[in-house]
Amino acid sequence: MPFALSRDVGYSLRFVPFVTTLLFAVFSVVPLNLPGFAVVTPAFALMAVFHWTVYRPDLMPLSAVFVTGLLLDLLNGTPYVGLSALALLGGRTVVMGQRQFFVNRTFPVVWLGFCIVAAATFAFFWIVVSILHGAVLGLRPFVFQAVLTVACYPVGSYILAWAHRILVART
Amino acid sequence: MRITAPVKAAAQRLTLPFLIFVSAMLVVFGKTDALLYDGLRVAMVDRIAPVLQAVSEPFVTVTGVFQAVADAVAVHRENVELREENARLLQWQEVARSLAAENAELRELAKLVPEDVVNSIATRVIADSGGAFARNVLVNAGQNEGVQRGQAAMTGVGLVGRVAEVGSHTARVLLLTDLNSHIPVEFEESHVRAILDGDNSEEPRLVYLPPKTEVKVGMRVVTGGSGGVFPPGLPVGVVSSVSGDLIRVEPYAELARLELLRIVDFGLSGVLPQSAVPAPKATGRGGRSADAAR
Repeated sequence: MPFALSRDVGYSLRFVPFVTTLLFAVFSVVPLNLPGFAVVTPAFALMAVFHWTVYRPDLMPLSAVFVTGLLLDLLNGTPYVGLSALALLGGRTVVMGQRQFFVNRTFPVVWLGFCIVAAATFAFFWIVVSILHGAVLGLRPFVFQAVLTVACYPVGSYILAWAHRILVART
Repeated sequence: MRITAPVKAAAQRLTLPFLIFVSAMLVVFGKTDALLYDGLRVAMVDRIAPVLQAVSEPFVTVTGVFQAVADAVAVHRENVELREENARLLQWQEVARSLAAENAELRELAKLVPEDVVNSIATRVIADSGGAFARNVLVNAGQNEGVQRGQAAMTGVGLVGRVAEVGSHTARVLLLTDLNSHIPVEFEESHVRAILDGDNSEEPRLVYLPPKTEVKVGMRVVTGGSGGVFPPGLPVGVVSSVSGDLIRVEPYAELARLELLRIVDFGLSGVLPQSAVPAPKATGRGGRSADAAR
């Protein structure tokens, strides 16, 4: 039972996954303005939720995922508040169901898993926003953001793994 | 108080369906009342603005460094181009000077009423939705600085969008390319009116043109006065492609890389639902529908 794991971590450090996830969510709306970097930015919050669900699901409870999703929706300024929360909760559930395929695997396997989750998430966004808007939206920005997110996952994962090491070292 | 194990297990099992239900309901409520979350969003963004500002600061520096490198690489080619452009612009300057003089004389002759003074507020972009289905930016000026809903946001070269939400020291600008952006425009020369509709792509579409309007690539599009939101004649963009009914406009402003914006107050109140009458605080949906009925 994964929920028992949290006993090995000091009280203040228990919030490392949640706090890093919130930071990643905030980071996803920071204007990077890099040349060649188009309108969309990678979905950093999705990376964080995926990463912690794979490595420390006990410290990334559903409520934390929900709050992250809501924060993201409010920051994004879209009229569809709750949509990211839905997507992240769905993503977490899928990953939890398939965790045995990710744990103790090499990075490329985890990356492939993230690739599938990201593709599913953006397909979900595309379908739901098209329904809510009442018109089929162009796929391009969705595909572009999904590809960008997958491409940036190693960097995001590296940063989170670094936070994870601190978490382990201090306990 | 200790919760018994079965209760705890049941609660754990129900968390996921419950949270999914809440999220779905939030989406549905937001769809039925688009303004439902405005207050919450504005309040939260106002609080988080210092964080956003602090985080975006280093990126301004990083961007500056990248830009400096890019500039250094391109310096020779750009120099040649700029020399040519300078020569051309000097000629235009002569033309503009004589036109300005002529214009002043004609205005004097026609006793034209001078145009209103325009106040503008310089702001910096502190957040960029960056999502696949939202095109908006947050700027670091709000009510306290005089920003109001419905005002035009511009860069030096053209219209960027309009102010959609205002907090006490932040404001959200809905870009021309957003799904929910519909701006009355007209062709600069023929004055034929149309609506510029964002559709999430980089180039918004022109819709509701009168039938049999002749549209060619390269035609200039400016804001139209209808609706009384923007003053007529602000530069918007050029027609970039025409294929059947699908006409796309390339905005002059580089929407993918916005750093500084000018929020312009033309003193027009115009047709601004929900914002024209500030909703009383702590009123729910009932209060707002009463406003709408007025």
